[in-house]
Amino acid sequence: MIIRVAVIGNPNVGKTLIFNNLTGGRAHVGNWPGKTVEKKEGKCLHKGVEMQIIDLPGTYSLTANSIDELVARNFIVEEKPDVVIDIVDASNLERNLYLTLQLLELEANVVIALNKYDVAKDLGYEIDVKEVSTLLGAPAILTVATTKEGMEELKDVVMGAAKVKDGKRQFLISYGKRFDELILRLVCVLQKDEELSSKYPITWLAIKILEADEEILKLVDKSPCKHEIINQLLETKT
Amino acid sequence: MVAKIPLTMLSENEEAVIVKVNGGMGLTRRLSEMGFTYGAKVKVLHSSPPGPILVVVRGSRIALGRGVAMKIMVSLEADA
Repeated sequence: MIIRVAVIGNPNVGKTLIFNNLTGGRAHVGNWPGKTVEKKEGKCLHKGVEMQIIDLPGTYSLTANSIDELVARNFIVEEKPDVVIDIVDASNLERNLYLTLQLLELEANVVIALNKYDVAKDLGYEIDVKEVSTLLGAPAILTVATTKEGMEELKDVVMGAAKVKDGKRQFLISYGKRFDELILRLVCVLQKDEELSSKYPITWLAIKILEADEEILKLVDKSPCKHEIINQLLETKT
Repeated sequence: MVAKIPLTMLSENEEAVIVKVNGGMGLTRRLSEMGFTYGAKVKVLHSSPPGPILVVVRGSRIALGRGVAMKIMVSLEADA
């Protein structure tokens, strides 16, 4: 069995360095954002299990704003990797966790690597890893990619996460009562479209429809449930 | 009443707080994803009109076109 693992994170958090550490590869690492513009693949053997690692371009979010974001998003939505390693800059948690939330909403099998922990420590931050893991409902570990700290642990956690793949995590963010109700109603309609609901996480689709995400609206336009969805949205307006 | 000025009016090394983004839905969302949200601190690192402007926001360096930066309104007062 080969475990397919995607590496994702904000620009300049150390994705490629971790990718190299895992695969023993020599992808170019640069200390500036936007170094990786296309996806790279590598292999890694850990305790007899083969892992295929895919390095994705850095992105702040998973909307359809630009090509690199779309590359990252389509990969996660359509190729459905077994595990997604979300690399988070531990010295800058607030900005980085936005992407984490989006990944969780996408119902990806997320493992959080709190990288640059040495920098965070120098800044005087103390991170309660267990609490991060409990709050987000995903395993989290501390890493320092430059000194390869936490790499073995990361591989173990990835392997563990790959096994619980089918035990879907239910992670819901509340957008306030009005929106939550609307999202729920849209979910009910979307469930009737088997093609869409088998391919995409439904709650995520509903949220993206409300965000007027271009790519998703194109999909919905072809759906047999199109009119029902529009009706639901119109009903709310009045 | 706090004085609102566009981000482009700051000089290099000046720091301010974002009070408003005058953009459509797409731009507002895009900017908020990059960290330009209400109450966030920005510092101008480099600005040479009419070129782009380099700022630090939430720990990341980001270059903005002058047109986009004009739409970000900031206040120099700390309690804005």
